[in-house]
Amino acid sequence: MLRFIVRRLLLLIPILIGLSILVFVWIRALPGSPAESLLGEHATPEAVAQIRHQYGLDEPVYVQYWAYLKTLASGDLGTSIASTRTVTYELEHRFPATIELALAAMIFAIGVGVPLGFLSAKRYRSGVDHAGLAASLIGISIPIFFLAIILKYIFSVRLGWLPSIGREDTLSEAEHPTNFYVLDGIITGNLGASWDAIRHLILPAIALGSIPLAIISRITRASVLDVQNEDYVRTARAKGLAPRTVDRRHVMRNALLPVTTIIGLQMGLLLSGAVLTETVFAIPGMGSWLKEAIFNRDYPVLQGGILFLAIVFVFVNLLVDITYALLNPRVRVS
Amino acid sequence: MAKGLKLALALGAVALLTATAAFAASDRGAASDTLVYGASADPSLLDPSLTSDGESLRPTGQIFDSLVGFKKGTSTVVPSLATKWTTSKNQLAWTFKLRKGVQFSDGTPFNAAAVCANFTRWYSFPAPLQSDALSYYWQTVFGGFAKPAPGGLGPDKSLYKGCKAHGQYSVSILLRRPSSSFLAAIGLPNFGIASPTALKKYEADAGTVDATGVFHPTGTFATQHPIGTGPYMLQSWTPGNKMVLVANPKYWGPKPKIKRIIYIPIGDPSARLQALQSGEIQAYDNVAPQDFATIKGNKKFKLYLRPPTSLGYVGINQSLPPMNNPLVRQAVAYGLNGAAVAKAFYGGVGTPATQFLPPSLAGFAKKGVPVFKYDPAKSIALLKQAGLTPPVKIDFWWPTSVSRPYMPDPQRNFEAFAASLNKAGFQVEAHSSPWRPDYRAGVQAGKAQLFLFGWNPDFIDPANYLNVHFGSKTAQFGFDNQALFTLLAKADAASNADARAALYQQASIQVMKQLPVIPYVWAAGAIVFDSSVKGFVPSPVGTVNEPMSSLSFG
Amino acid sequence: MSVAEIEAHELEGHPAAGGLWSDAWRRLRKNPGAIVGFVLVGLFVFVGIFAPWLAPHSPLDQDLSLIANGCCPGPSREHWFGVDELGRDEFSRVLYGARSSLVIGVVAVAVGMSVGLVLGAIAGYFGRYSDSIVMRLMDIMLAIPGLLLAIGVAAMLGPGRWQIMVAVGVASIPIFARLVRGSILAQRENDFVLAARSVGVPRRSILVSHILPNSMSPVIVAGTLALATAIIDVAGLTFLGLGAQDPSQPEWGAMLTNANNYLQNAPFLAIIPGLAIVISVLGFNLIGDGLREAIDPKLRSR
Repeated sequence: MLRFIVRRLLLLIPILIGLSILVFVWIRALPGSPAESLLGEHATPEAVAQIRHQYGLDEPVYVQYWAYLKTLASGDLGTSIASTRTVTYELEHRFPATIELALAAMIFAIGVGVPLGFLSAKRYRSGVDHAGLAASLIGISIPIFFLAIILKYIFSVRLGWLPSIGREDTLSEAEHPTNFYVLDGIITGNLGASWDAIRHLILPAIALGSIPLAIISRITRASVLDVQNEDYVRTARAKGLAPRTVDRRHVMRNALLPVTTIIGLQMGLLLSGAVLTETVFAIPGMGSWLKEAIFNRDYPVLQGGILFLAIVFVFVNLLVDITYALLNPRVRVS
Repeated sequence: MAKGLKLALALGAVALLTATAAFAASDRGAASDTLVYGASADPSLLDPSLTSDGESLRPTGQIFDSLVGFKKGTSTVVPSLATKWTTSKNQLAWTFKLRKGVQFSDGTPFNAAAVCANFTRWYSFPAPLQSDALSYYWQTVFGGFAKPAPGGLGPDKSLYKGCKAHGQYSVSILLRRPSSSFLAAIGLPNFGIASPTALKKYEADAGTVDATGVFHPTGTFATQHPIGTGPYMLQSWTPGNKMVLVANPKYWGPKPKIKRIIYIPIGDPSARLQALQSGEIQAYDNVAPQDFATIKGNKKFKLYLRPPTSLGYVGINQSLPPMNNPLVRQAVAYGLNGAAVAKAFYGGVGTPATQFLPPSLAGFAKKGVPVFKYDPAKSIALLKQAGLTPPVKIDFWWPTSVSRPYMPDPQRNFEAFAASLNKAGFQVEAHSSPWRPDYRAGVQAGKAQLFLFGWNPDFIDPANYLNVHFGSKTAQFGFDNQALFTLLAKADAASNADARAALYQQASIQVMKQLPVIPYVWAAGAIVFDSSVKGFVPSPVGTVNEPMSSLSFG
Repeated sequence: MSVAEIEAHELEGHPAAGGLWSDAWRRLRKNPGAIVGFVLVGLFVFVGIFAPWLAPHSPLDQDLSLIANGCCPGPSREHWFGVDELGRDEFSRVLYGARSSLVIGVVAVAVGMSVGLVLGAIAGYFGRYSDSIVMRLMDIMLAIPGLLLAIGVAAMLGPGRWQIMVAVGVASIPIFARLVRGSILAQRENDFVLAARSVGVPRRSILVSHILPNSMSPVIVAGTLALATAIIDVAGLTFLGLGAQDPSQPEWGAMLTNANNYLQNAPFLAIIPGLAIVISVLGFNLIGDGLREAIDPKLRSR
């Protein structure tokens, strides 16, 4: 087991290096390079040369890259051009926002998807099953922003049941020690603030979680169907165990294995979807931050923020792989 | 198990829905001393001398006072930090008597030295801050700096000569030449007086300027400590999230009844309307024309229309051929269906524009103005007359991510104009870029052949329309007509009101003959408040003169 | 992209174990979902190709007098889907939008598939070094979520319709590459390959005439699903503002984005293009699903 983990960790290194090179090259490939962005309008040729030297832009590329790596390692991610706050400050506020949203979306997707998939499998080929399949197919066919706009229009504007923008009430003065708004409310003993944060998460979580929901319910259904016909299940039933116990002890546990892998793979989907969802619901998270950074040519954000995100993403993928390996010994050998 | 699960799911869903519905009803009336305002974007900076965008001027207009102000809803100059003023016989010195007992919100006393500290600071801006994108208003009103950047105007060309303090409560501003618009100009929020202590302590001038003209301060004056004498002061600002202003306890005037103002940036216009309808905000500006009917039909909200002083035009850069040919410019004028657009896209409050000045201004020419009605055949004929074969390729620029009273939906205007031009012998090449930073920078640098633009006046005076745009050569229009420059300078200097009006009428007619731009609409901006907010008076210059301090929840 | 990725992930472990085409076709025809899918896609392609003949008006013709009293008049006899904010016939625009989406989907998938196939073939067949390099590159690309990768490429290329298509296509390259590589690796040790090698048939022609054709089935499935996601992702990119320079060309994603401003006056302007996207994408997903089940019965989600 340990060998497996170590092997995967070592594999991580070339991926991370590759990512940092990719981000570095990509930023310099954007129209309007960092050099242009840092020089003022009234600069004389001498000032231009001086600025280039000051920022190391006249050095060969590999020297620049090394300097870039060093600043990253020191933890100084620079200052956002658009907001004039440090990239680290922005990360501290925006990262929890997106994580909270993604978690809420996953809870929705799993909480509704697994039971639905299970139900579909149990009622194989019935009306419920076909309806479920149809719904999940439609679920992956709806553009997320379309769904988000419709949800907002119906539940926020027309019915007024849920808020339409942001993470908390506009008048709220709640404190946010961790920037995970739901958690903060619990920590500070302000349960009203937690509930407020949850209310703001409901619509975005449904919009963002619609695709994972569709996928999870389908995979659960397929998995349950597969497992149900396995020998050990038939044995358990033949032994005379109550159907409910059979389901709980044997079917669900084994059926959920493939579902776990899929959950890990959803992360990418969630992050991409977050860009659209955060834009529609005006949530200040990583998704809207990156999108604005590209439009504003906010290089420090792109250099530090994107790389941070990519690294987190890669690590979480690794965690999922390890978890899956823990659950399924067969994987470790491959 | 399946059955129990289904039941649990159903119950859970019902419980969730009930709970949300129960909490939904807005219990917002409770916080009757806080107003939440939906801004269209985050302010760029809170230093009014270095910003020109409406969203920055919105809060700074509440934080700073200028020497003079304007009567609510009008453009009549009234006392503010100065109580009385006189001008010398040759009009080269304006002496202001200052209000006594005024303090900045950090306790620094307001006096003549403070006024001179501010004027001197602006006049002495270092080279990077002299960028057009930053100290725009200083350059438009005064022009010229003490230490000009290469290619910039120096002290000898500046309207400003100096500032002299006479004791604590009397100050003179010295000019190099007479100006009829000077007094109204220094009432602009961009000339708001800041605390000299704060300017120094928080290093207001320190920072760098990038190639797109954006100022990145290293000091904290413009981001955390904008200290003024106004009715409100900054409590906190989380960029991209919200800005909170609170009533200034040291304010010299009547205490504001609304104790807190919260600005929340909501980029999407339809999201602003939705936030208003769900009670999350109580006001927002630049209401889209298609939403007028929705708002008017709802008693919970009140729509305020400002006087139609906003001007929409299609700008032309004459230095890019074939725009240097007046026949081609006329062809463009005949090829734009401006009247149809003005009537259809502005919610019924847009009037087709016949000239650059709106009808309410003295200087509006009632006769003698060339008229250009949409006539594709005439357009094609003119192009042929100019020696070109239709279709003639032209680059037409339009901005994204912006909404202004004169172009509430730039894309819509662009598409209508492009279609009409394509029928009139042109072949339009579309170029679009985001308003900030690329579009404005690109247009002002003269990159666009035809471009959608407009003007919201800073003060209601022909000088603020004509002199600003056509008083001197600009890269934006590529336009160099000395006769017009001289005429406009003469008009601005004229002290006799009738003579002034006559000169401006001539200038307005000249503009329509030369066609550096093609005006197409006089539009009215609209702002909406929750009906419980009383005391709002819309200003012809919009947000720069709409103090929140006189508002209250009724 | 990422949905296709996940679906493809399922396919990866099971290269086509000799599903004969006629067998697969028979199974496909019996699948009701796939039939619906074919109908929907057929409709979509038909409309896309014959839009100029089917549309009652030009999609670019504006009539500002229709909206002089506000936006926008809804469905009527003259205009079946109403008119949009510039007085253009919405029905015609939806028809021409199908054309746009067709082109978008095909170009994006073509880009992704062609490059992905070549890369996957190189990795699978030409030995350890090329395999390592190509696969590490694919890993890095896969390390970035699909839409974000597309946004990144689109940011580099600048705004524009073709740029978005290429960006979306590029983001799907790793999926195809991985699929083809997996399939080739599985077939490399097959008897007939060894036999051909022993007779002296060059590696390249074995690859091209034997292995690749057998790898086609999962590729076709992935291609269909990638087509579906391409249409959705381009709509998403347009929504974020990376769209075409000329906004008057009808394209469902752009129409949906613009309609957002008129949601409270004319919701049909948003609902109609949105539904059009959902229906066409659904069709491709149904076909892709059906194909997957038909080609490899072991894989069926039954």
